[in-house]
Amino acid sequence: MHATIALFRNELRLLLRNPAVVIWTILIPIAALVVMCLIPGAREPLPNFGGLSVIESYQPTLIVFAATMLALQMMPMFIGQYRELGFLRRLRTTPAHPRDLLAAILALILTISLVVGLVLLTFPLLFGVGVMGRLALQSLLLVLVATSFLAVGSMLAAVIANPRVAAGVGAALAAIMWFFAGMWFPRALFPGWLATISDWTPGGAAASVLGAAAAGQPIAAQPLIALGLWTVGGFSIATRSFRWE
Amino acid sequence: MTLITVQGLRKSYGAREVLHGIDLTVDDGEIVGVLGPNGAGKTTTVECIGGLRTPDVGTIRVAGIDPAAKNPELRQILGMQLQQCHLPAKITPAEAIELFAAFYRNPRRTAELLELLGLTSQAHQRFEKLSGGQQQRLSIALALVGRPKVAILDELTTGLDPAARRDIWAYLQKLTDEGMTILLVTHSMEEASYLCDRVYIVDDGRIVATGSPAELATSGGRQTVTFVPSEPIDPADLLSLPGIASATVDHGQVTVGGDAAAPQTVLAELIARGITANHLRVTGPTLDDAYLRVTQEN
Repeated sequence: MHATIALFRNELRLLLRNPAVVIWTILIPIAALVVMCLIPGAREPLPNFGGLSVIESYQPTLIVFAATMLALQMMPMFIGQYRELGFLRRLRTTPAHPRDLLAAILALILTISLVVGLVLLTFPLLFGVGVMGRLALQSLLLVLVATSFLAVGSMLAAVIANPRVAAGVGAALAAIMWFFAGMWFPRALFPGWLATISDWTPGGAAASVLGAAAAGQPIAAQPLIALGLWTVGGFSIATRSFRWE
Repeated sequence: MTLITVQGLRKSYGAREVLHGIDLTVDDGEIVGVLGPNGAGKTTTVECIGGLRTPDVGTIRVAGIDPAAKNPELRQILGMQLQQCHLPAKITPAEAIELFAAFYRNPRRTAELLELLGLTSQAHQRFEKLSGGQQQRLSIALALVGRPKVAILDELTTGLDPAARRDIWAYLQKLTDEGMTILLVTHSMEEASYLCDRVYIVDDGRIVATGSPAELATSGGRQTVTFVPSEPIDPADLLSLPGIASATVDHGQVTVGGDAAAPQTVLAELIARGITANHLRVTGPTLDDAYLRVTQEN
């Protein structure tokens, strides 16, 4: 446990020295939200967004953006680099197991996803956007969403040995998740067949549950099941196929 | 007390057997060298001892622990420096040592290691900005930070400048005086002669010679006598003496090679003939000669 904590602190320090990570996963999503909060029109509820404001309807997309950048693109790259570098092997010669490093990286990525997600959920409240009473449910769903992306990212890190390939595949998958989360095209306008596919992807399911929670609607079982399946499936494939060297 | 025991170690990569039965022991407080040409199986041997590879056949014990058994206690008592080990690009030496120190029960102080390995002024530079020699010294620091009972050092001072090598040798000798045991893989005969109590010469997956560096050097090694005689002398006369293997004359300088008694034999003959030997020099055999002999014979 002591080793994992030391590795966690070290990974946090190294991550903050990596400008790409800080800019893409922390600054850009938060800056996008802050800018929207400063535009009065974006704060007004709109009838064709189901009574939600522009900010609220983009919140899930931004959460998915930040979580996928971290879990799908950055994390498989870090783990692949450590494997390629021989750092995982180097750890095997110490009392710390390379497993401790993976635990530290997963914990760190999850922590950042949650912190960024919480900022994205709470900041609009300062501008009177969103409902305080829904924050607990939204936070709970945020944990579920971030964990399922972490599982998919772990699967990529385990299956793809080359860190550059892993980062590329992760980036492509992340972009597909943004599409299903409605980043470029509102989910409400998806044709039926596309909506069905979307709802079974982690990105679509995440946007679906977070959107429902923001609107105060009941959370459907289907997207929750989808997120649960991705979480269990991703982690079990990852643990079975992970290569240390 | 024997700290490391290896018996009948065999290891194959695929169909190719790279170790054909290695036996070696390292006693408490010793510095033991493993020498041999590239591809001889040195690194595979120490990686088996360090538990990074599992032997196909054979028994290994490090302080009574089987390294293949994944006993966590082994990692507390054994420090390893790997031939190729890279750290994250943006970590600094001070951070790396502190990180590794957190893994051990009773680690050495970071400042002490930085100072003794000459890294104090690079303590806060990023790993990617360090020179090859500085990265190497950091790697040694990480192997020693846990106060190991046994350290396995692979290619210890390759690529270091002579002054840095001397400093590291002196530091390692101090640590062995304090009770540490070292198993050293090296290409450098100078390093082996300077540091090692005993060496094993490995060639093609077998141990072909063992002993102290001095023993190995002198075993069958020849003495060479060179001199400029005050009067010309026929090399054939010297060759007929007992124990003399070669005799040549070049620009008035005579070079005679022979067994351990050869210098005395040659001098006695010169005195008997009333010849003075000017510029007399006797050179003993070196570990280099012994190494080349045993690896070439094999």
